[in-house]
Amino acid sequence: MALIQVDELVKVYPGGVRAVDDISFVVEEGEIFGFLGPNGAGKTTTIRVIVTLLKPTSGRVAVDGIDVVADPEPVRRRIGYAAQFIGVDDDLTAMENLVMQGRLHGLEPREAQRRSHELLEVLQLVEVAGRRAGTFSGGMRRRLDLGQALVHGPRVLFLDEPTTGLDPQTRRALWEYLRELNSRGVTIFLTTQYLEEADALATRLAIIDQGVIAIEGTPAALKRGLGGDAITVTLPDDAGPDATEQAARVLERFSDTGEAARFDRSARVFTAEAASRLAEVVRALDGASVKVARLEVSEPTLDDVFLRHTGSRMRVEESKPPSRLRMFGRGR
Amino acid sequence: MTRTLRESGILWARQMKKLVRIPLLLFFALAQPLIFLLLFSQVFTNLDRLPGFEYDSYLQFLVPSIVALTALNSAFQSGIGMVTDIESGMLDKFLIAPIRRSSVLLGKVFADATRSAAQATVIVLVSLLMGARFATGIPGVAAMTVLAALFGIAWAGLSNIIALRTRNGELTMIVGILITFPVLFLSTAFMPSILLPEWLDTVAKFNPITYIVEALRALVNTGWDWTAIAQALGVTGGLAVVTFAGATRAFRKAIE
Ligand SMILES: Nc1ncnc2c1ncn2[C@@H]1O[C@H](COP(=O)(O)OP(=O)(O)OP(=O)(O)O)[C@@H](O)[C@H]1O
Ligand SMILES: [Mg+2]
Repeated sequence: MALIQVDELVKVYPGGVRAVDDISFVVEEGEIFGFLGPNGAGKTTTIRVIVTLLKPTSGRVAVDGIDVVADPEPVRRRIGYAAQFIGVDDDLTAMENLVMQGRLHGLEPREAQRRSHELLEVLQLVEVAGRRAGTFSGGMRRRLDLGQALVHGPRVLFLDEPTTGLDPQTRRALWEYLRELNSRGVTIFLTTQYLEEADALATRLAIIDQGVIAIEGTPAALKRGLGGDAITVTLPDDAGPDATEQAARVLERFSDTGEAARFDRSARVFTAEAASRLAEVVRALDGASVKVARLEVSEPTLDDVFLRHTGSRMRVEESKPPSRLRMFGRGR
Repeated sequence: MTRTLRESGILWARQMKKLVRIPLLLFFALAQPLIFLLLFSQVFTNLDRLPGFEYDSYLQFLVPSIVALTALNSAFQSGIGMVTDIESGMLDKFLIAPIRRSSVLLGKVFADATRSAAQATVIVLVSLLMGARFATGIPGVAAMTVLAALFGIAWAGLSNIIALRTRNGELTMIVGILITFPVLFLSTAFMPSILLPEWLDTVAKFNPITYIVEALRALVNTGWDWTAIAQALGVTGGLAVVTFAGATRAFRKAIE
């Protein structure tokens, strides 16, 4: 039996916003399940329904076989939840915050103390254990919040964008810690806007966009599904839309599905054995008299997966100039 | 029952820690009533010459009103704390824990009660220093703190209703401030019934503040007036039940 089971979940907010529109998925015990999507995709809404904080409009959600609406209390015993917006009591010390959460989850005072101390050590907050949380930096608050979600030793951990606002070092350390938790048997459900994070951490992931799950699978399988490596043709600065279109038409011939992505002055195709077909691509482009500034072979990324399945980009990477996009032939 | 006590006890302890951690808050909640105690007892000191004023001094008459004012002040801060907990995500933390929903509000109520009782004690001590005498002695002071605690609960409930309906801390505070003085002056808190204009005296009879103030006043000045105490318990207890029920409803709605 799956640890988390979501069936045809719909959530319409009172104002009429259809935040989650009929999604279904399962998470097995022991997974690190990534829920990847842009702002407003419905990640937080989904997670809040599963953790019993929000009533679904329709559909069925169960954790460990227990319905979250009909029987929320045993569900709450099994889960830990670190919300997107950190919830710590600024007037209490780190230790007091942790002990209180432990006590609320039914731990006896001494056990709560012991667990809290253990977590402060792991999360490197021992030195500030007696300081008011209000004096903490963003990263320290994040870690304390994570500690609060863990103090009672939950079987499933729900993390809503756990690394947003953390510096790269802290982020990596957190990834490391989550992997370790997972290796000790804690199932992790995490949402993220970071493709690298989903790629690095998730054993399986679902991509959600506008309240709908576009696709799910392991990161490797999702990338494999694109049909091979990417060949990207970049045109000179003075090239117009016609030239881009022409380049894309040429590239389409190399795709199994006859699709190529069009960007501002560049086009991309996924093809098996991309490297060895490069010469062919060059000849074909030459034959169509397309002027080329740059030609590149690269492994597919989750961004490519996202683009293919949602028709838009997850996020324009900093290194690339922003581009107006037309998609793989499919409009939205 | 033990479970509810255990859970709300944890949340009560949290509020107590917060309270002593920011003594400034406690200080400001007490500062204004203390200033009023000093000022009013001077400004109105000659009221005791009026025919019909049957107390030894205006101070003797005023102490219970200041206890009520203090309890009102801290009660109206209760809702602000609720909004803060909603905004800071702390409420979610409580809701995600396997505890009864009712424990969350109860923990708050117990904390409000404790606070009102403690502040009433401070007011009593200061007024002793100022020369007030207590007809019922230490047991009477204990009874006063219990009544003050109940009174605090009753009005904190109202503050929480406003807080949960508006989810706005400033609004909750302003409404509280706006209510405080009219309800006090429309009672017998600052003027004995016999000296009030007739219409006001009528209004005062429908004002729950009047009953608590009269009971406290008896404890300070004359002795154990069981009728006044019973009336105060009935009226204030009734108000507490009503506002707590309202707060519970607003709470349920706020968390769906
Ligand atoms: N309380 C609410 N009332 C009405 N609409 C809401 C509410 N909360 C969220 N929404 C809407 O529901 C949609 C999904 O929001 P949600 O917070 O689930 O997205 P998200 O994927 O978590 O986004 P982000 O990455 O920005 O956190 C958005 O359009 C949002 O505006
Ligand atoms: Mg979110």
